[in-house]
Amino acid sequence: MLKTWRKYGALYLMMIPVICYFLVYGYYPLARGLQISFQDYRLIGNRPYIGFDNYGTVWHDPNFWKSLTNTLVIGGGSLVCGFLAPLIIALSLNEVLKSWFKKTAQMLLYVPHLLSWVVVGGMWIYLLSPDTGLVNLLLQRTLDIPPVHFLAESGWARVVMILVATWKDMGYNCILFLAGIVAINPSLYEAARLDGATRWQQVRYVTLPQIQSTMKVVLLLNTLGLLRIFDQVFILRNNSTAPDVDVLMYYTYQKGILDFHVGVAAAASVLVLIFTLLLTLIVRKLTRFDEV
Amino acid sequence: MGIERFERAGWGSRVFDAINLLFLLLLMLTMIIPFLNVISLSLSSGVASMQPDIILLPKDFSFEGYKIIWTSLDIWRPFVNSVTVTVTGTLLHVLLSSLAGYVLVHPHVPGKKLMITFILITMMIPQEAVLIPLYVVNKDLHLINTLSVLVLSGLVSGFSILLMRNFFLSIPYEIAESAKIDGAGEFWVFGAIYMRLATAGLATVTLFEFVRRWNMFTEPLVFINDSMKYTLQLALKSMIVDTSATSSTYMVTTNVKMAGIIIAILPLIAIYPFVQRFFMKGILLGASKE
Repeated sequence: MLKTWRKYGALYLMMIPVICYFLVYGYYPLARGLQISFQDYRLIGNRPYIGFDNYGTVWHDPNFWKSLTNTLVIGGGSLVCGFLAPLIIALSLNEVLKSWFKKTAQMLLYVPHLLSWVVVGGMWIYLLSPDTGLVNLLLQRTLDIPPVHFLAESGWARVVMILVATWKDMGYNCILFLAGIVAINPSLYEAARLDGATRWQQVRYVTLPQIQSTMKVVLLLNTLGLLRIFDQVFILRNNSTAPDVDVLMYYTYQKGILDFHVGVAAAASVLVLIFTLLLTLIVRKLTRFDEV
Repeated sequence: MGIERFERAGWGSRVFDAINLLFLLLLMLTMIIPFLNVISLSLSSGVASMQPDIILLPKDFSFEGYKIIWTSLDIWRPFVNSVTVTVTGTLLHVLLSSLAGYVLVHPHVPGKKLMITFILITMMIPQEAVLIPLYVVNKDLHLINTLSVLVLSGLVSGFSILLMRNFFLSIPYEIAESAKIDGAGEFWVFGAIYMRLATAGLATVTLFEFVRRWNMFTEPLVFINDSMKYTLQLALKSMIVDTSATSSTYMVTTNVKMAGIIIAILPLIAIYPFVQRFFMKGILLGASKE
Protein backbone atom coordinates (compact mmCIF):
# COMPACT_ATOMS: atom_id res chain seq x y z
CA MET A 1 0.00 0.00 0.00
CA LEU A 2 2.70 2.42 1.08
CA LYS A 3 4.81 1.29 -1.84
CA THR A 4 2.00 1.94 -4.31
CA TRP A 5 1.54 5.38 -2.85
CA ARG A 6 5.23 6.19 -3.11
CA LYS A 7 5.33 5.04 -6.67
CA TYR A 8 2.04 6.48 -7.95
CA GLY A 9 1.21 9.14 -5.36
CA ALA A 10 2.09 12.02 -7.66
CA LEU A 11 -0.15 10.61 -10.36
CA TYR A 12 -3.13 10.32 -8.00
CA LEU A 13 -2.43 13.88 -6.90
CA MET A 14 -2.71 14.96 -10.53
CA MET A 15 -6.05 13.21 -10.85
CA ILE A 16 -7.60 14.66 -7.69
CA PRO A 17 -8.78 18.02 -9.10
CA VAL A 18 -10.47 16.32 -12.03
CA ILE A 19 -12.21 13.77 -9.83
CA CYS A 20 -13.38 16.45 -7.40
CA TYR A 21 -14.70 18.55 -10.26
CA PHE A 22 -16.63 15.68 -11.82
CA LEU A 23 -18.09 14.71 -8.45
CA VAL A 24 -19.33 18.24 -7.71
CA TYR A 25 -20.35 19.30 -11.23
CA GLY A 26 -21.11 15.98 -12.91
CA TYR A 27 -22.40 13.27 -10.59
CA TYR A 28 -23.79 15.34 -7.75
CA PRO A 29 -26.09 17.53 -9.92
CA LEU A 30 -27.44 14.39 -11.55
CA ALA A 31 -28.32 12.90 -8.16
CA ARG A 32 -29.52 16.24 -6.85
CA GLY A 33 -31.74 16.70 -9.89
CA LEU A 34 -33.32 13.32 -9.29
CA GLN A 35 -33.88 14.23 -5.63
CA ILE A 36 -35.39 17.64 -6.42
CA SER A 37 -37.75 16.09 -8.93
CA PHE A 38 -39.46 14.32 -6.00
CA GLN A 39 -39.48 17.41 -3.76
CA ASP A 40 -41.60 20.49 -3.35
CA TYR A 41 -38.59 22.75 -3.83
CA ARG A 42 -38.67 26.07 -2.00
CA LEU A 43 -35.96 28.66 -1.56
CA ILE A 44 -36.30 28.76 2.22
CA GLY A 45 -37.76 26.34 4.70
CA ASN A 46 -38.10 22.59 4.42
CA ARG A 47 -38.53 20.77 1.14
CA PRO A 48 -40.99 17.94 1.67
CA TYR A 49 -40.98 14.89 -0.57
CA ILE A 50 -44.14 14.74 -2.61
CA GLY A 51 -43.71 11.52 -4.55
CA PHE A 52 -44.48 11.72 -8.23
CA ASP A 53 -46.47 14.97 -8.03
CA ASN A 54 -43.95 16.95 -10.10
CA TYR A 55 -43.94 14.27 -12.77
CA GLY A 56 -47.74 14.34 -12.72
CA THR A 57 -47.73 18.11 -13.22
CA VAL A 58 -45.41 17.78 -16.20
CA TRP A 59 -47.28 14.80 -17.62
CA HIS A 60 -50.62 16.62 -17.55
CA ASP A 61 -49.22 19.91 -18.86
CA PRO A 62 -50.28 20.33 -22.51
CA ASN A 63 -47.36 22.74 -22.99
CA PHE A 64 -44.92 19.94 -22.22
CA TRP A 65 -46.35 17.74 -24.98
CA LYS A 66 -46.49 20.69 -27.31
CA SER A 67 -42.81 21.39 -26.67
CA LEU A 68 -42.02 17.72 -27.23
CA THR A 69 -43.78 17.87 -30.61
CA ASN A 70 -41.89 21.05 -31.49
CA THR A 71 -38.60 19.43 -30.50
CA LEU A 72 -39.32 16.38 -32.63
CA VAL A 73 -40.41 18.44 -35.64
CA ILE A 74 -37.59 21.01 -35.52
CA GLY A 75 -35.01 18.49 -34.32
CA GLY A 76 -36.13 15.87 -36.81
CA GLY A 77 -36.09 18.38 -39.66
CA SER A 78 -32.62 19.56 -38.67
CA LEU A 79 -31.53 15.94 -38.43
CA VAL A 80 -32.64 15.10 -41.97
CA CYS A 81 -31.43 18.36 -43.58
CA GLY A 82 -28.27 18.38 -41.47
CA PHE A 83 -27.48 14.90 -42.77
CA LEU A 84 -28.43 15.23 -46.44
CA ALA A 85 -27.04 18.72 -47.15
CA PRO A 86 -23.45 18.01 -46.03
CA LEU A 87 -23.54 14.61 -47.74
CA ILE A 88 -24.54 16.15 -51.07
CA ILE A 89 -21.97 18.94 -50.66
CA ALA A 90 -19.21 16.48 -49.80
CA LEU A 91 -20.02 14.32 -52.84
CA SER A 92 -20.14 17.40 -55.02
CA LEU A 93 -16.84 18.75 -53.61
CA ASN A 94 -15.23 15.40 -54.22
CA GLU A 95 -15.97 15.70 -57.95
CA VAL A 96 -14.02 18.98 -58.12
CA LEU A 97 -10.48 18.40 -59.29
CA LYS A 98 -8.88 21.70 -58.36
CA SER A 99 -7.72 21.33 -54.78
CA TRP A 100 -7.50 25.08 -54.08
CA PHE A 101 -11.19 25.42 -54.91
CA LYS A 102 -12.05 22.45 -52.73
CA LYS A 103 -10.09 23.89 -49.81
CA THR A 104 -11.54 27.37 -50.16
CA ALA A 105 -15.10 26.05 -50.31
CA GLN A 106 -14.56 23.82 -47.30
CA MET A 107 -12.99 26.67 -45.32
CA LEU A 108 -15.81 29.05 -46.16
CA LEU A 109 -18.60 26.59 -45.39
CA TYR A 110 -17.08 25.86 -42.00
CA VAL A 111 -17.10 29.49 -40.76
CA PRO A 112 -20.68 29.67 -39.38
CA HIS A 113 -20.09 26.60 -37.22
CA LEU A 114 -17.43 28.57 -35.30
CA LEU A 115 -19.84 31.37 -34.44
CA SER A 116 -22.29 31.51 -31.56
CA TRP A 117 -26.04 31.28 -31.97
CA VAL A 118 -26.34 34.89 -30.82
CA VAL A 119 -24.22 35.99 -33.77
CA VAL A 120 -25.79 33.67 -36.34
CA GLY A 121 -29.29 34.30 -34.99
CA GLY A 122 -28.74 38.06 -34.86
CA MET A 123 -27.51 38.02 -38.45
CA TRP A 124 -30.50 36.07 -39.73
CA ILE A 125 -33.04 38.04 -37.74
CA TYR A 126 -31.76 41.05 -39.61
CA LEU A 127 -31.38 39.31 -43.00
CA LEU A 128 -34.94 37.96 -42.80
CA SER A 129 -36.58 41.12 -41.50
CA PRO A 130 -39.58 42.15 -43.62
CA ASP A 131 -38.68 45.78 -44.44
CA THR A 132 -34.92 46.11 -44.62
CA GLY A 133 -33.69 42.52 -44.66
CA LEU A 134 -31.62 41.34 -47.59
CA VAL A 135 -33.69 38.22 -48.28
CA ASN A 136 -36.97 40.10 -48.60
CA LEU A 137 -35.36 42.87 -50.65
CA LEU A 138 -33.99 40.29 -53.08
CA LEU A 139 -37.32 38.49 -53.32
CA GLN A 140 -39.08 41.77 -53.88
CA ARG A 141 -36.75 43.11 -56.55
CA THR A 142 -36.23 39.93 -58.54
CA LEU A 143 -39.52 38.06 -58.20
CA ASP A 144 -41.77 40.89 -57.03
CA ILE A 145 -42.89 38.97 -53.96
CA PRO A 146 -44.39 41.07 -51.13
CA PRO A 147 -42.41 41.06 -47.84
CA VAL A 148 -42.64 37.79 -45.93
CA HIS A 149 -42.57 37.85 -42.13
CA PHE A 150 -40.30 34.82 -41.91
CA LEU A 151 -39.78 34.94 -38.16
CA ALA A 152 -43.26 36.06 -37.14
CA GLU A 153 -45.47 33.74 -39.19
CA SER A 154 -46.10 30.40 -37.58
CA GLY A 155 -45.97 28.66 -40.95
CA TRP A 156 -42.43 29.86 -41.55
CA ALA A 157 -40.92 29.82 -38.06
CA ARG A 158 -40.12 26.11 -37.92
CA VAL A 159 -38.84 26.02 -41.49
CA VAL A 160 -36.52 28.96 -40.78
CA MET A 161 -35.24 27.26 -37.61
CA ILE A 162 -34.36 24.13 -39.58
CA LEU A 163 -32.80 25.99 -42.50
CA VAL A 164 -30.66 28.30 -40.37
CA ALA A 165 -29.46 25.35 -38.28
CA THR A 166 -28.53 23.50 -41.47
CA TRP A 167 -26.74 26.57 -42.83
CA LYS A 168 -24.76 26.90 -39.61
CA ASP A 169 -23.66 23.30 -39.21
CA MET A 170 -23.35 21.82 -42.69
CA GLY A 171 -19.65 22.71 -43.01
CA TYR A 172 -18.87 20.66 -39.92
CA ASN A 173 -20.49 17.41 -41.03
CA CYS A 174 -19.14 18.00 -44.53
CA ILE A 175 -15.62 17.64 -43.11
CA LEU A 176 -16.53 14.28 -41.60
CA PHE A 177 -18.02 13.01 -44.86
CA LEU A 178 -15.07 14.23 -46.93
CA ALA A 179 -12.65 12.51 -44.58
CA GLY A 180 -14.60 9.31 -45.09
CA ILE A 181 -14.52 9.71 -48.87
CA VAL A 182 -10.78 10.43 -48.96
CA ALA A 183 -10.12 7.25 -46.99
CA ILE A 184 -11.71 5.05 -49.68
CA ASN A 185 -9.21 2.76 -51.41
CA PRO A 186 -8.57 4.24 -54.92
CA SER A 187 -8.28 0.78 -56.45
CA LEU A 188 -12.03 0.36 -55.96
CA TYR A 189 -12.62 3.25 -58.36
CA GLU A 190 -10.09 1.83 -60.81
CA ALA A 191 -11.86 -1.51 -60.83
CA ALA A 192 -15.22 0.25 -61.30
CA ARG A 193 -13.85 2.24 -64.23
CA LEU A 194 -12.44 -0.88 -65.86
CA ASP A 195 -15.93 -2.35 -65.65
CA GLY A 196 -17.15 0.74 -67.48
CA ALA A 197 -18.93 2.45 -64.57
CA THR A 198 -20.03 6.03 -65.19
CA ARG A 199 -19.27 8.75 -62.66
CA TRP A 200 -22.75 8.49 -61.22
CA GLN A 201 -22.41 4.72 -60.92
CA GLN A 202 -19.08 5.16 -59.14
CA VAL A 203 -20.77 7.40 -56.58
CA ARG A 204 -23.73 5.06 -56.21
CA TYR A 205 -21.86 1.75 -56.01
CA VAL A 206 -18.48 2.72 -54.55
CA THR A 207 -18.55 5.99 -52.61
CA LEU A 208 -21.91 5.70 -50.83
CA PRO A 209 -21.50 2.11 -49.60
CA GLN A 210 -17.92 2.84 -48.55
CA ILE A 211 -18.81 5.76 -46.28
CA GLN A 212 -21.60 3.96 -44.46
CA SER A 213 -19.75 3.97 -41.15
CA THR A 214 -19.17 7.73 -41.40
CA MET A 215 -22.89 8.17 -42.11
CA LYS A 216 -23.73 6.24 -38.97
CA VAL A 217 -21.38 8.38 -36.85
CA VAL A 218 -22.89 11.60 -38.22
CA LEU A 219 -26.42 10.32 -37.71
CA LEU A 220 -25.71 9.28 -34.14
CA LEU A 221 -23.98 12.58 -33.28
CA ASN A 222 -26.89 14.55 -34.75
CA THR A 223 -29.45 12.47 -32.89
CA LEU A 224 -27.72 13.12 -29.58
CA GLY A 225 -28.07 16.84 -30.24
CA LEU A 226 -31.75 16.61 -31.20
CA LEU A 227 -33.28 17.02 -27.76
CA ARG A 228 -30.72 19.60 -26.66
CA ILE A 229 -31.77 22.41 -28.99
CA PHE A 230 -31.96 25.57 -26.93
CA ASP A 231 -29.74 28.54 -27.83
CA GLN A 232 -31.11 28.67 -31.35
CA VAL A 233 -34.74 28.71 -30.23
CA PHE A 234 -34.03 31.16 -27.45
CA ILE A 235 -32.54 33.63 -29.94
CA LEU A 236 -34.93 33.20 -32.86
CA ARG A 237 -38.22 32.81 -30.99
CA ASN A 238 -40.69 35.57 -30.30
CA ASN A 239 -44.10 35.73 -28.73
CA SER A 240 -45.98 35.22 -31.96
CA THR A 241 -44.14 32.02 -32.90
CA ALA A 242 -43.62 30.65 -29.37
CA PRO A 243 -46.34 27.94 -29.59
CA ASP A 244 -44.68 26.49 -32.70
CA VAL A 245 -41.05 26.64 -31.71
CA ASP A 246 -40.67 26.41 -27.91
CA VAL A 247 -38.73 23.18 -27.40
CA LEU A 248 -38.26 20.89 -24.39
CA MET A 249 -35.18 22.72 -23.15
CA TYR A 250 -37.03 26.00 -23.32
CA TYR A 251 -39.85 24.44 -21.31
CA THR A 252 -37.41 23.42 -18.53
CA TYR A 253 -35.74 26.84 -18.62
CA GLN A 254 -39.07 28.60 -18.36
CA LYS A 255 -40.37 26.40 -15.55
CA GLY A 256 -37.13 26.35 -13.56
CA ILE A 257 -35.52 29.75 -14.04
CA LEU A 258 -38.33 32.11 -15.08
CA ASP A 259 -41.24 30.70 -13.05
CA PHE A 260 -39.01 29.15 -10.36
CA HIS A 261 -40.93 25.87 -10.20
CA VAL A 262 -37.63 24.09 -9.68
CA GLY A 263 -39.18 20.74 -8.76
CA VAL A 264 -41.31 20.64 -11.91
CA ALA A 265 -38.35 21.69 -14.05
CA ALA A 266 -36.20 18.96 -12.50
CA ALA A 267 -38.88 16.38 -13.27
CA ALA A 268 -39.02 17.61 -16.87
CA SER A 269 -35.21 17.35 -17.07
CA VAL A 270 -35.30 13.76 -15.89
CA LEU A 271 -37.89 12.98 -18.57
CA VAL A 272 -35.67 14.64 -21.20
CA LEU A 273 -32.76 12.51 -19.99
CA ILE A 274 -34.88 9.36 -20.37
CA PHE A 275 -36.02 10.42 -23.86
CA THR A 276 -32.38 11.00 -24.85
CA LEU A 277 -31.39 7.53 -23.69
CA LEU A 278 -34.32 5.94 -25.51
CA LEU A 279 -33.61 7.85 -28.71
CA THR A 280 -29.94 6.88 -28.63
CA LEU A 281 -30.83 3.24 -28.13
CA ILE A 282 -33.33 3.33 -30.99
CA VAL A 283 -30.86 4.94 -33.41
CA ARG A 284 -28.13 2.50 -32.38
CA LYS A 285 -30.48 -0.39 -33.05
CA LEU A 286 -31.72 1.02 -36.36
CA THR A 287 -28.26 1.75 -37.75
CA ARG A 288 -26.79 -1.39 -36.14
CA PHE A 289 -24.10 0.95 -34.90
CA ASP A 290 -22.25 -1.67 -32.89
CA GLU A 291 -21.66 -3.81 -35.94
CA VAL A 292 -19.56 -1.21 -37.74
CA MET B 1 -6.74 9.65 -61.19
CA GLY B 2 -7.42 13.23 -62.25
CA ILE B 3 -5.74 12.93 -65.62
CA GLU B 4 -7.56 9.74 -66.45
CA ARG B 5 -10.83 11.42 -65.72
CA PHE B 6 -10.01 14.23 -68.11
CA GLU B 7 -9.16 11.82 -70.88
CA ARG B 8 -12.45 10.07 -70.48
CA ALA B 9 -14.39 13.28 -70.06
CA GLY B 10 -17.00 13.42 -72.75
CA TRP B 11 -19.50 16.13 -73.47
CA GLY B 12 -21.97 14.99 -70.80
CA SER B 13 -19.26 14.80 -68.22
CA ARG B 14 -18.21 18.36 -68.91
CA VAL B 15 -21.77 19.63 -68.57
CA PHE B 16 -21.97 17.81 -65.26
CA ASP B 17 -18.74 19.46 -64.07
CA ALA B 18 -20.08 22.87 -65.00
CA ILE B 19 -23.37 22.34 -63.16
CA ASN B 20 -21.53 20.96 -60.17
CA LEU B 21 -19.24 23.98 -60.03
CA LEU B 22 -22.19 26.33 -60.36
CA PHE B 23 -23.94 24.58 -57.49
CA LEU B 24 -20.91 24.98 -55.24
CA LEU B 25 -20.46 28.62 -56.21
CA LEU B 26 -24.09 29.38 -55.36
CA LEU B 27 -23.63 27.59 -52.06
CA MET B 28 -20.56 29.69 -51.29
CA LEU B 29 -22.55 32.81 -52.11
CA THR B 30 -25.03 31.92 -49.36
CA MET B 31 -22.04 32.25 -47.00
CA ILE B 32 -20.35 35.27 -48.58
CA ILE B 33 -23.36 37.52 -49.15
CA PRO B 34 -24.74 37.50 -45.58
CA PHE B 35 -21.30 38.29 -44.14
CA LEU B 36 -20.62 40.95 -46.74
CA ASN B 37 -23.97 42.50 -45.94
CA VAL B 38 -23.31 42.53 -42.19
CA ILE B 39 -19.78 43.94 -42.53
CA SER B 40 -20.90 46.68 -44.93
CA LEU B 41 -23.81 47.66 -42.70
CA SER B 42 -21.53 47.91 -39.67
CA LEU B 43 -19.34 50.35 -41.62
CA SER B 44 -22.22 52.46 -42.90
CA SER B 45 -23.71 55.51 -41.24
CA GLY B 46 -26.73 55.09 -39.00
CA VAL B 47 -29.15 56.67 -41.47
CA ALA B 48 -27.84 54.72 -44.47
CA SER B 49 -28.00 51.43 -42.57
CA MET B 50 -31.70 51.86 -41.84
CA GLN B 51 -32.73 52.28 -45.47
CA PRO B 52 -34.30 49.41 -47.38
CA ASP B 53 -31.35 48.93 -49.70
CA ILE B 54 -29.31 45.97 -50.77
CA ILE B 55 -26.00 46.93 -49.18
CA LEU B 56 -22.97 44.87 -50.14
CA LEU B 57 -20.47 47.72 -49.85
CA PRO B 58 -20.37 50.29 -47.02
CA LYS B 59 -22.73 53.14 -47.80
CA ASP B 60 -21.77 56.55 -46.45
CA PHE B 61 -18.67 54.95 -44.84
CA SER B 62 -18.20 55.61 -41.11
CA PHE B 63 -17.09 53.94 -37.88
CA GLU B 64 -20.08 55.45 -36.10
CA GLY B 65 -21.58 52.04 -35.29
CA TYR B 66 -18.41 50.81 -33.59
CA LYS B 67 -18.00 54.06 -31.67
CA ILE B 68 -21.55 54.00 -30.36
CA ILE B 69 -21.59 50.36 -29.32
CA TRP B 70 -18.14 50.52 -27.69
CA THR B 71 -18.47 53.76 -25.72
CA SER B 72 -22.11 54.87 -25.47
CA LEU B 73 -23.51 51.38 -25.05
CA ASP B 74 -20.50 50.30 -22.95
CA ILE B 75 -19.94 47.03 -24.70
CA TRP B 76 -16.30 47.17 -23.58
CA ARG B 77 -17.38 45.88 -20.16
CA PRO B 78 -19.01 42.64 -21.38
CA PHE B 79 -16.10 42.32 -23.82
CA VAL B 80 -13.59 42.44 -20.95
CA ASN B 81 -15.72 39.97 -18.95
CA SER B 82 -15.78 37.59 -21.89
CA VAL B 83 -12.04 37.84 -22.41
CA THR B 84 -11.38 37.24 -18.69
CA VAL B 85 -13.65 34.21 -18.48
CA THR B 86 -12.48 32.76 -21.77
CA VAL B 87 -8.76 33.10 -21.12
CA THR B 88 -8.81 31.94 -17.47
CA GLY B 89 -11.22 29.12 -18.17
CA THR B 90 -9.35 27.89 -21.23
CA LEU B 91 -5.96 27.87 -19.48
CA LEU B 92 -7.31 25.96 -16.47
CA HIS B 93 -9.22 23.57 -18.72
CA VAL B 94 -6.13 22.74 -20.76
CA LEU B 95 -3.96 22.29 -17.67
CA LEU B 96 -6.38 20.04 -15.77
CA SER B 97 -7.30 17.97 -18.83
CA SER B 98 -3.63 17.48 -19.66
CA LEU B 99 -2.83 16.38 -16.10
CA ALA B 100 -5.60 13.77 -16.19
CA GLY B 101 -4.65 12.71 -19.70
CA TYR B 102 -1.04 12.25 -18.54
CA VAL B 103 -2.08 10.01 -15.65
CA LEU B 104 -4.01 7.75 -18.05
CA VAL B 105 -0.94 7.27 -20.23
CA HIS B 106 0.74 5.14 -17.57
CA PRO B 107 0.06 1.47 -18.23
CA HIS B 108 0.28 0.17 -14.67
CA VAL B 109 -1.43 2.69 -12.38
CA PRO B 110 -3.72 0.76 -10.01
CA GLY B 111 -7.35 1.84 -10.53
CA LYS B 112 -6.81 3.10 -14.06
CA LYS B 113 -9.83 1.22 -15.45
CA LEU B 114 -11.99 2.72 -12.72
CA MET B 115 -10.78 6.22 -13.53
CA ILE B 116 -11.51 5.79 -17.23
CA THR B 117 -15.02 4.49 -16.54
CA PHE B 118 -15.58 7.38 -14.13
CA ILE B 119 -14.63 9.85 -16.88
CA LEU B 120 -16.58 8.09 -19.65
CA ILE B 121 -19.80 8.19 -17.61
CA THR B 122 -19.54 11.98 -17.24
CA MET B 123 -19.41 12.19 -21.03
CA MET B 124 -22.78 10.50 -21.29
CA ILE B 125 -24.58 13.02 -19.05
CA PRO B 126 -26.02 15.70 -21.33
CA GLN B 127 -25.14 19.07 -19.76
CA GLU B 128 -28.51 20.50 -20.73
CA ALA B 129 -30.38 17.87 -18.75
CA VAL B 130 -28.65 18.89 -15.51
CA LEU B 131 -29.00 22.63 -16.07
CA ILE B 132 -31.61 23.11 -13.34
CA PRO B 133 -29.78 21.09 -10.65
CA LEU B 134 -26.56 22.88 -11.66
CA TYR B 135 -28.31 26.15 -10.95
CA VAL B 136 -29.29 24.85 -7.50
CA VAL B 137 -25.75 23.58 -6.80
CA ASN B 138 -24.22 26.90 -7.81
CA LYS B 139 -26.76 28.74 -5.72
CA ASP B 140 -25.84 26.64 -2.69
CA LEU B 141 -22.18 27.47 -3.32
CA HIS B 142 -23.06 31.19 -3.57
CA LEU B 143 -21.67 31.35 -7.08
CA ILE B 144 -24.67 32.80 -8.90
CA ASN B 145 -23.83 36.19 -10.44
CA THR B 146 -20.08 35.72 -10.27
CA LEU B 147 -17.66 35.31 -13.15
CA SER B 148 -16.20 32.28 -11.33
CA VAL B 149 -19.30 30.27 -12.11
CA LEU B 150 -18.57 30.73 -15.82
CA VAL B 151 -14.95 29.68 -15.38
CA LEU B 152 -16.13 26.63 -13.44
CA SER B 153 -18.72 25.44 -15.95
CA GLY B 154 -16.97 22.97 -18.18
CA LEU B 155 -13.69 23.34 -16.29
CA VAL B 156 -12.69 19.84 -17.39
CA SER B 157 -14.27 17.55 -19.93
CA GLY B 158 -13.92 13.89 -20.66
CA PHE B 159 -13.54 14.78 -24.31
CA SER B 160 -10.44 16.95 -23.70
CA ILE B 161 -8.92 14.41 -21.32
CA LEU B 162 -9.22 11.62 -23.87
CA LEU B 163 -7.99 13.88 -26.66
CA MET B 164 -4.88 14.85 -24.64
CA ARG B 165 -4.30 11.22 -23.69
CA ASN B 166 -4.43 10.32 -27.36
CA PHE B 167 -1.76 12.89 -28.20
CA PHE B 168 0.37 11.86 -25.20
CA LEU B 169 0.21 8.22 -26.26
CA SER B 170 2.10 9.06 -29.43
CA ILE B 171 5.11 10.05 -27.29
CA PRO B 172 7.33 6.99 -26.65
CA TYR B 173 6.80 5.88 -23.05
CA GLU B 174 10.50 4.94 -22.78
CA ILE B 175 11.40 8.65 -22.63
CA ALA B 176 9.38 9.05 -19.44
CA GLU B 177 10.75 5.85 -17.99
CA SER B 178 14.37 6.74 -18.56
CA ALA B 179 13.84 10.23 -17.16
CA LYS B 180 12.35 8.69 -14.02
CA ILE B 181 15.31 6.32 -13.66
CA ASP B 182 17.50 9.42 -13.72
CA GLY B 183 15.50 10.67 -10.74
CA ALA B 184 12.94 12.95 -12.36
CA GLY B 185 9.58 13.34 -10.61
CA GLU B 186 6.19 12.91 -12.27
CA PHE B 187 5.50 16.65 -12.38
CA TRP B 188 8.83 17.30 -14.07
CA VAL B 189 8.24 14.59 -16.66
CA PHE B 190 4.76 15.98 -17.29
CA GLY B 191 5.85 19.61 -17.61
CA ALA B 192 9.21 19.29 -19.28
CA ILE B 193 8.64 16.32 -21.58
CA TYR B 194 4.97 15.67 -22.26
CA MET B 195 3.69 19.24 -22.38
CA ARG B 196 6.56 20.23 -24.65
CA LEU B 197 6.23 17.34 -27.05
CA ALA B 198 2.46 17.48 -27.39
CA THR B 199 2.11 21.03 -28.67
CA ALA B 200 -0.26 19.96 -31.45
CA GLY B 201 -2.54 18.39 -28.85
CA LEU B 202 -2.36 21.45 -26.62
CA ALA B 203 -3.18 23.69 -29.56
CA THR B 204 -6.18 21.56 -30.53
CA VAL B 205 -7.70 21.45 -27.05
CA THR B 206 -6.97 25.15 -26.48
CA LEU B 207 -8.72 26.13 -29.70
CA PHE B 208 -11.76 23.95 -29.07
CA GLU B 209 -12.11 25.32 -25.57
CA PHE B 210 -11.50 28.92 -26.60
CA VAL B 211 -14.26 28.78 -29.20
CA ARG B 212 -16.64 26.99 -26.84
CA ARG B 213 -16.08 29.49 -24.05
CA TRP B 214 -16.22 32.55 -26.25
CA ASN B 215 -19.57 31.39 -27.64
CA MET B 216 -20.98 30.11 -24.32
CA PHE B 217 -24.56 31.31 -23.97
CA THR B 218 -26.82 29.02 -21.94
CA GLU B 219 -24.64 29.09 -18.82
CA PRO B 220 -24.31 32.89 -18.55
CA LEU B 221 -28.01 33.21 -19.35
CA VAL B 222 -28.97 30.97 -16.44
CA PHE B 223 -26.26 31.83 -13.89
CA ILE B 224 -25.82 35.59 -14.47
CA ASN B 225 -28.43 38.31 -14.21
CA ASP B 226 -26.34 41.23 -12.99
CA SER B 227 -25.67 43.34 -16.11
CA MET B 228 -22.20 44.28 -14.78
CA LYS B 229 -21.25 40.61 -15.10
CA TYR B 230 -22.77 40.13 -18.55
CA THR B 231 -20.62 38.39 -21.14
CA LEU B 232 -20.43 39.65 -24.70
CA GLN B 233 -22.95 37.07 -25.95
CA LEU B 234 -25.50 38.03 -23.30
CA ALA B 235 -25.03 41.74 -23.92
CA LEU B 236 -25.39 41.23 -27.67
CA LYS B 237 -28.53 39.19 -27.14
CA SER B 238 -30.16 42.03 -25.26
CA MET B 239 -28.88 44.68 -27.68
CA ILE B 240 -29.55 42.98 -30.98
CA VAL B 241 -32.34 40.58 -30.39
CA ASP B 242 -34.53 42.32 -27.84
CA THR B 243 -34.16 45.81 -29.23
CA SER B 244 -36.80 47.12 -26.89
CA ALA B 245 -34.65 46.24 -23.89
CA THR B 246 -32.02 48.83 -24.71
CA SER B 247 -31.83 52.25 -23.12
CA SER B 248 -34.71 54.48 -24.05
CA THR B 249 -32.52 57.44 -25.03
CA TYR B 250 -30.93 55.48 -27.84
CA MET B 251 -32.67 54.13 -30.86
CA VAL B 252 -30.22 51.38 -31.72
CA THR B 253 -29.57 51.71 -35.44
CA THR B 254 -28.71 48.74 -37.63
CA ASN B 255 -25.07 49.76 -38.07
CA VAL B 256 -24.60 49.62 -34.27
CA LYS B 257 -26.11 46.13 -34.04
CA MET B 258 -24.02 44.85 -36.92
CA ALA B 259 -20.89 46.38 -35.35
CA GLY B 260 -21.71 44.33 -32.24
CA ILE B 261 -21.90 41.16 -34.31
CA ILE B 262 -18.56 41.91 -35.97
CA ILE B 263 -16.90 42.56 -32.59
CA ALA B 264 -18.09 39.14 -31.41
CA ILE B 265 -16.77 37.49 -34.58
CA LEU B 266 -13.33 39.14 -34.68
CA PRO B 267 -11.50 37.04 -32.06
CA LEU B 268 -12.73 33.88 -33.78
CA ILE B 269 -11.61 35.10 -37.20
CA ALA B 270 -8.23 35.98 -35.68
CA ILE B 271 -7.67 32.37 -34.64
CA TYR B 272 -9.19 30.85 -37.78
CA PRO B 273 -5.84 30.16 -39.51
CA PHE B 274 -4.82 28.05 -36.51
CA VAL B 275 -8.22 26.44 -36.39
CA GLN B 276 -7.65 25.25 -39.93
CA ARG B 277 -4.41 23.60 -38.95
CA PHE B 278 -5.49 21.87 -35.77
CA PHE B 279 -9.28 21.70 -35.70
CA MET B 280 -9.83 19.34 -38.56
CA LYS B 281 -7.73 16.63 -36.97
CA GLY B 282 -9.42 17.23 -33.63
CA ILE B 283 -12.88 16.97 -35.15
CA LEU B 284 -12.05 13.63 -36.72
CA LEU B 285 -10.50 12.31 -33.52
CA GLY B 286 -13.53 13.49 -31.58
CA ALA B 287 -16.01 11.87 -33.92
CA SER B 288 -14.19 8.56 -33.90
CA LYS B 289 -14.32 8.60 -30.11
CA GLU B 290 -18.11 8.49 -29.95
